[in-house]
Amino acid sequence: MVTEEQIYDAISTVIDPEVGFNLVEMGLIYGVEIGEDGNVMVTMTLSTKACPLHQMIVQWVKEACEKVEGVNNCEVNVVWEPAWNITMAADNVKKALGG
Amino acid sequence: MFAVTRDFAPPFRLIAPYFVTGVILYLVSAVFALGFDVSELGFMDPTVIGWVHLYLLGFVMMVIFGAMAQLVPVVLETGHFAVDLYYIIGPMLFIGTLMMALGFALWPMMLPFGGLIVLSAMLIFVFDVFMTIRKIGEKLNFAMRSVVVSNTFLFFGVLLGIVLALGYAGIIGIDIAALLKAHVFLVVVGYIVVTIIGLSMVLIPMFGLSHDFSWKPVERSLVAVSAGVVAVVLGALSDSGWLSWTGYGLWLAAMVLYGYEVIMLYRTRARKEHDIYARSLYIAYGSMALALLTGVVYLFSGSDAAILAAGWLAFTGFFGFLITGHLYKIVPFLVWFERFSPLVGKQKVPMLADMVPQRSADFQLCFTAAGVFVGAAGLLLGSSEIFKAGASFLAAGGLFLIHSMLFMMRYK
Repeated sequence: MVTEEQIYDAISTVIDPEVGFNLVEMGLIYGVEIGEDGNVMVTMTLSTKACPLHQMIVQWVKEACEKVEGVNNCEVNVVWEPAWNITMAADNVKKALGG
Repeated sequence: MFAVTRDFAPPFRLIAPYFVTGVILYLVSAVFALGFDVSELGFMDPTVIGWVHLYLLGFVMMVIFGAMAQLVPVVLETGHFAVDLYYIIGPMLFIGTLMMALGFALWPMMLPFGGLIVLSAMLIFVFDVFMTIRKIGEKLNFAMRSVVVSNTFLFFGVLLGIVLALGYAGIIGIDIAALLKAHVFLVVVGYIVVTIIGLSMVLIPMFGLSHDFSWKPVERSLVAVSAGVVAVVLGALSDSGWLSWTGYGLWLAAMVLYGYEVIMLYRTRARKEHDIYARSLYIAYGSMALALLTGVVYLFSGSDAAILAAGWLAFTGFFGFLITGHLYKIVPFLVWFERFSPLVGKQKVPMLADMVPQRSADFQLCFTAAGVFVGAAGLLLGSSEIFKAGASFLAAGGLFLIHSMLFMMRYK
């Protein structure tokens, strides 16, 4: 059975090239649902609606999850509510971006 | 749900020539400025108008058009009507700009021909933008509205420009001073400033990760600047003083509101690094404030030195640093998107910040800032020596800008 931790670890390999942090520590991943059939649903957001890498980031998340042993298929649902803000990021991100 | 897919994103080989041409003409315009004799300079002087066209068309518009090839899909949330049109817009703008600059400086008969080529390039650009806007079915957001407004002003601005070019060449008889004022406001304020206001509300929050800010000041700013441009243009064409002054007042209020919005973006940003992008923006908006101040001095004093300094600060400081600052974000992104994004997950890829040559960018910023402020001081003091020192700094900054651009474009 695939675990949430495995999925989060996989998504941690996806890095936003603009800020240099992975999506998990940025706080962009809102939730992960794992079905018994190995189907995974990732609910996430992006730091801005105008993100020009939107579709690529979604694709990278899907590919990263589908590399996990036991995952049959991964769907990514991008949501804008609640809107992302810096308080959702990990402390190391806040500290680094804080200048 | 929207995303810039590879289908929407134009190839880098389409956009790169705009940026390369733009920064080369930036350097050429800085060298051109070295020839000014400030003690005899007036803002209606053909060499000044030639320089303004070289700088604004060759650098500012060239880079904006290149950026719009990439940003129109981002702002309008749909693909271009015909992105291939950008293959002809750039060369036409380049040739037309050179002919116009030479026309103003040396051979007036070249003006209508250069003007016609520039007009054609801009009409093709406006055509693509409006046809792209037609594809949007939903309600227009702020950035989309600003694109509609700015391109409408550009359309009328270039039409007046061609009439002016014919007048300068002596082909038709016109009131050059009145038409010039209308042309300047339509193109510089109506197109460039409105474009800056609209795009900055997409780009600055995106790069600074600003959240939870009010849009009211900038929305009011867009209304005020639009009404201001219309009032000044009608005032100039009808020789109505009160309409012109109403327009100036609205324009000034619009810039104050926009400045307030930028301060809110700054205060609500998550990214507080003082990188080359942030520092370029500080100088850009500082220059904007100084340009407004000297512009107001001109309105009440009529001093040629004040309007020349205001124009210099606005063009080289405000427009210049906003553009160069964004080049340090946009060019690495475009190169990364084309060259490295297919390698994600397969091998280690650079971060965008790794692709910026820090020392070269720092030198560019320092020399250019010196050029902006020393040049403005030279204009205000009527000293050719001080102004030429400023233009020299600007040219040195231009060399570092070209170096930075080539470094980012060749990054492997």
